Amino acid sequence: MTRSLLPPLLFLALASLLAMAVSVAVGSVALSPLEVLSVFFGNAEPLQQTLVLELRLPRTLSAFATGGLLAVAGALMQVLLRNPLADPYVLGLSGGAAVGALLAMLAGLGGLLVSGSAFAGALLSTLMVFGLAHGTGSWTPSRLLLTGVVVAAGWGAVITLMLAISPARELPGMLYWLMGDVSYARTPWPGLLFLLAVCLLIVPLGRSLNVLARGPLQAAALGISVRPMEWLIYVLASLLTATAVTMAGSIGFVGLVVPHMLRLVLGNDQRLILPACALAGGTLLVLADTLARIVIAPEQLPVGVITALLGVPTFLYLLYRSR
Amino acid sequence: MNQREQVMAGIFWAMAFSLLLVWTPSVLAQVCAKDDRDRTVCLDQPATRIAALSPGATELVWAAGAGEQVVAVVDYSDYPPAAKAVPKVGSHTRLDMERLLQLQPDLVIAWVTGNPAEQVQMLKDLGLPVFSIEPRSFEAVSDTIERLATLAGTETDGFVEADRFRRGIAELREQYASAEPVPVFYQVWDEPLMTVNNEHLIGEMIQLCGGDNIFGELDRLVPRISTEAVVTGNPEAILAGGMGEENRHWLTRWEAFPELKATKKDNLFFIPPSLVQRPTPRMLEGTRLFCEKLEVARGRRD
Repeated sequence: MTRSLLPPLLFLALASLLAMAVSVAVGSVALSPLEVLSVFFGNAEPLQQTLVLELRLPRTLSAFATGGLLAVAGALMQVLLRNPLADPYVLGLSGGAAVGALLAMLAGLGGLLVSGSAFAGALLSTLMVFGLAHGTGSWTPSRLLLTGVVVAAGWGAVITLMLAISPARELPGMLYWLMGDVSYARTPWPGLLFLLAVCLLIVPLGRSLNVLARGPLQAAALGISVRPMEWLIYVLASLLTATAVTMAGSIGFVGLVVPHMLRLVLGNDQRLILPACALAGGTLLVLADTLARIVIAPEQLPVGVITALLGVPTFLYLLYRSR
Repeated sequence: MNQREQVMAGIFWAMAFSLLLVWTPSVLAQVCAKDDRDRTVCLDQPATRIAALSPGATELVWAAGAGEQVVAVVDYSDYPPAAKAVPKVGSHTRLDMERLLQLQPDLVIAWVTGNPAEQVQMLKDLGLPVFSIEPRSFEAVSDTIERLATLAGTETDGFVEADRFRRGIAELREQYASAEPVPVFYQVWDEPLMTVNNEHLIGEMIQLCGGDNIFGELDRLVPRISTEAVVTGNPEAILAGGMGEENRHWLTRWEAFPELKATKKDNLFFIPPSLVQRPTPRMLEGTRLFCEKLEVARGRRD
């Protein structure tokens, strides 16, 4: 079993390293590979040093972390809700985060406080959906899904209202935040460490997740304590998404499509899919962000455009081939 | 004090004095100015490589007499024409940080609400002096030009230009101080229909020309309004910007309302947006045009 798990993961790890290398090597200022290498050996000019170490490397790592977090969160949500349309944002988490961030901006706060407020908003939304879906006892994934979708619609309305009534000079900042972009990430480390921790935690649970994905009855019959398991998935997916949204705003598409792509290629074994999602999601976003930086430089594209342009044909091809 | 001590003291003072000589120029050359975020920005010597991160900032730096020192601009920096030849570093909403750093600016002029806060913060973290501006009144335009001139060491040209603008506006203000009020609707945007309130710089322009902004009391700086509200307000003159310089079609929609006073008197005026919508010295020309249009409206009264 382990033998069949390892090769795809190794391949994906290699691909992600390659993507990161490309991302660090290219940019709107042309540096030769030799110059980039010399930066890492500490004998480059200060400008090259800054370009690679202060701009490209942190941004590459942030893109990887964000993509990985979103893809794993999406895969978990799809297992939890047993719905192929589920993505990390389906339960209203990004809406809660956005409202938190916009409120902080309206209050005139900046920087770290906006991120903190976004994180708090995401958690508040999670708790709200959790509490409401729990209701008076009977709890099902479809009830969770409905609660989440309605709460998300509510957040959407609040966001539109805030945009409509907030002073014009706050608007640009708010719109940037809502669009989501890796260039706004401050530091990649919390996201990367959290992604690693969750992957290490979740892989041993892979067998239980596999059973759960087939349905709660089978899972219960096979001795899985379904309820705690489902809550664990919910909380983990929420934390992953909240971390990603706090880092780079709500970047769409990665969380929905990467898990599906991997399932089409690798089959639906969660022990493999979850770590593979972390690697493939990260790789996709790193590549997309690299293209966003250089395609029409010095113009910079929103990364969401590129993720969709890269992802849609790939996904459609895989889907077409699989029939 | 014996002779040796005297010599030592002499050497000491000579060294101290020469140190002072070395130090003095840079101390004297240091320039400081307070930006619109209330941060004082100091440079050891006047800036020689300036990056202007908004089209408005580019115009203001040129107005300050420091156009020669500009090494980086953003999209739509189309005035003065010389600005078009300066390397671009993306748009004001998405900066190409690599190109910006490559141009090695020693002063970055940011736009308080127009540039992404994270990217501006990153420039500060990388040790670049960032001067954030956002003029919101006529006086602030002059004041900003003076502060930019101070930082660029071009006070001679900059202060003259700032003063020209200040005096020009003061003259217009005096000329129209007792003019008959004209109810005005200023159309910033067509779809959705948007205008400005009295707090806005264009609102200030309307008041200066003896106009009475029919939406001046609204709370939002740039309120979104309905066609009905305009018809109810029944302005005597409608002035519109537009997307391009020769684009008048925004005004034709009002011809459908013949009972509107502005339509009846044919007081539908086009004002080139570049002359009024950027807080730069070109506003003097825009304000003059604005006042002239209102004067035309006054002349068409029965």
